Amino acid sequence: MSTLYRLVYLSKNRISGGAAHIAAEVQSILAAAQRNNPPLELTGALIFNAGMFAQVLEGPCGSLEDTFEKIQQDPRHGDLEVLAYHQTTERAFQHWSMGYFGQSREGQDLFGHLAKATGFNTDGLEGTRLFEIIRDIALEEETRAA
Amino acid sequence: MAPRTAPAETMRYLHELSPQRRQAVADLALDTFLEMGRAAAIVGANGELRLVNDAFTELFGGVEDLTARLAKINADVAVSGGRLIHEVMLPDGRTVGLEVTLLEQGCLITGFDISRRQQRRAREAQLARTDDLTQLGNRLLFQEQLAERLAEPGHAYPPALLTIDLGRFKALNETLGRKTGDALLRLVAKRICSALADHDVVARLEGDKFAVLQLGQPQPQAAAALAARLIDLLGRAYLVDGQLINISACAGIVVVTPDMIDVEQVMSSADLALSRAKSDGQGSYRFFETAMDEKMRSCRKLEIDLRRALSLREFSLVYQPQVNLRSSAVSGFEALLRWQCPTRGAVSPLDFIPLAEQTGVITSIGEWVLRTACREAASWPNDHSIAVNVSGVQFAHPNLVKVVMSALAESGLAPQRLELEITESVMLDDRGQSLTVLNNLRSLGVRMALDDFGTGYSSLGYLRRFSFDKIKIDQSFVRGTANDPAGQAIVRAISSLGQSLGMKTVAEGVETREQFDRVVADGCTDVQGYLISRPLPSGQIASFLDERAPRP
Ligand SMILES: Cc1cc2nc3c(=O)[nH]c(=O)nc-3n(C[C@H](O)[C@H](O)[C@H](O)COP(=O)(O)O)c2cc1C
Repeated sequence: MSTLYRLVYLSKNRISGGAAHIAAEVQSILAAAQRNNPPLELTGALIFNAGMFAQVLEGPCGSLEDTFEKIQQDPRHGDLEVLAYHQTTERAFQHWSMGYFGQSREGQDLFGHLAKATGFNTDGLEGTRLFEIIRDIALEEETRAA
Repeated sequence: MAPRTAPAETMRYLHELSPQRRQAVADLALDTFLEMGRAAAIVGANGELRLVNDAFTELFGGVEDLTARLAKINADVAVSGGRLIHEVMLPDGRTVGLEVTLLEQGCLITGFDISRRQQRRAREAQLARTDDLTQLGNRLLFQEQLAERLAEPGHAYPPALLTIDLGRFKALNETLGRKTGDALLRLVAKRICSALADHDVVARLEGDKFAVLQLGQPQPQAAAALAARLIDLLGRAYLVDGQLINISACAGIVVVTPDMIDVEQVMSSADLALSRAKSDGQGSYRFFETAMDEKMRSCRKLEIDLRRALSLREFSLVYQPQVNLRSSAVSGFEALLRWQCPTRGAVSPLDFIPLAEQTGVITSIGEWVLRTACREAASWPNDHSIAVNVSGVQFAHPNLVKVVMSALAESGLAPQRLELEITESVMLDDRGQSLTVLNNLRSLGVRMALDDFGTGYSSLGYLRRFSFDKIKIDQSFVRGTANDPAGQAIVRAISSLGQSLGMKTVAEGVETREQFDRVVADGCTDVQGYLISRPLPSGQIASFLDERAPRP
């Protein structure tokens, strides 16, 4: 098996319009991910909260880098900050071509404190912290659904 | 079948042959015509086919308006001296090479399919215009396309040329390796393409430098928008070979005006705008303005004058005395450069040294200064030290130590009398290179002074890494008035630092008695400035020293 990499990033929503329109666009992002990611052996999770996207993407270096080239040019978001990009031994989202979480926490500001911090430090605390937030929410929702 | 052989000489004397023999030769000729691989036809004046071979039928079989085409060829050959070589494109895309010979009635056409050759040529031409690494166009393609646009008469919208380059790419390439650098350039190329309209022209000119020719858009708005978009796109994070890379880009823009006709001129205007953008900071873009051109021209002119000045002996040196405060005796002189230009008058070093450094002319000027100062100082009556400024560019030049050795040898000046003044910027290179050079110079016996101390980074680390003989305190601190306690505190601090490290401290630019008294109180060991003396030509040094000597 080729080496696994994990990417964690945060970006600002650039989809304008009402909640329904945003929801439809997010649906289409998820559909693209669920269509494209499996053959590329990519897994991950996406959270949309308080005008921010946070995504974890895991998989082989080549697939991940190619997909990231598409994602970073997507006009539906901007000011993308990569918080972590490194090798990892295990997938955290084994079962998700792209899990979407956090809808139940609409009212909460999940990572506002991260967004406000200026000068993110790649691979520093923020990357780890954001990764943990996303993983915890995913775990929670998984168990609740079960 | 007719005999296949006919001696060559018989052809020329065809009319002398016997009727049978003639027939045989004619049969042979006809046979050859019909069966040869080349398409051949004899065509009547109106384009009607008189005689064709199979190859001709095969080649032109599908062409609908053949008769009309042939009539045209027939007319063409008649007016072009009886022979014509011609390439025609058939409706199905094949290209045919034709050779046409005028006959008494009509013409003979032979030809064959040259599509493959044509394709190969086209492929080669394209290859020669493609950048291998990114598959974009290369400089040749770009220049040709630009030349074409410049030659075309006025468009509704003028073309705009953008040149783009990446900040820190070279350093990145060195640290991450060529493979990663190349992969990054490929991504950059793709991102640039994603922002362009179909008919825009894009190329990689060299290294990390790209160019775009934007066509058919209202200017300058479209070019500004494109530059902003490109800077945004290229400045986004890259993931390459398992690494996160952040770089930024700058762009220079020229909107082509009708008076711009020269490709080189337009490209260099874009470069000029690009270098302006770079000096504005990473992530910026700039439009070319005529004023930039004028500024550049005047810089070029100054550069030419500078290069000439050396051989025309327009430079001279003057020497400013330094006085030791304890003994009140002259301790040495600093060599200062003067340029008397016949057209400009006296030019201040402040106005030409930066350009001399940028263009590298400083190396030869600096060498001249060094040799001249050593030679002139060697003729003075006493053993005073002679301080010579060495710029950062000179210091980085691998020849410096050799030049110093040869200047000393030529002049016979004792190495201990020569003092080289360097600024802190020299110490900023951190590969330890400068430390090696400093130690090499010291091993010659030459002394070293740190110039303009206090103005730059003033890192105490430098003083620790190399023990200079002298620290020169910048005049901006010395000239501060009595109510500039900070300046005074700095002078005092540097003096006591010098004292503890065993380095002399020279206060520069002392002009008034008040400043003098203050630097004395602050503990400097030496002073230099107009109060002591203005800089003197070498010829006046002896009498100056004589006047100052204590009278018996
Ligand atoms: C926040 C965000 C996350 C995305 N994540 C993915 C992803 O994981 N996989 C993917 O293929 N596309 C993802 N996209 C969509 C891509 O930017 C792009 O629109 C999509 O890959 C195009 O798919 P297509 O080539 O199949 O049309 C994401 C977009 C956004 C804005």
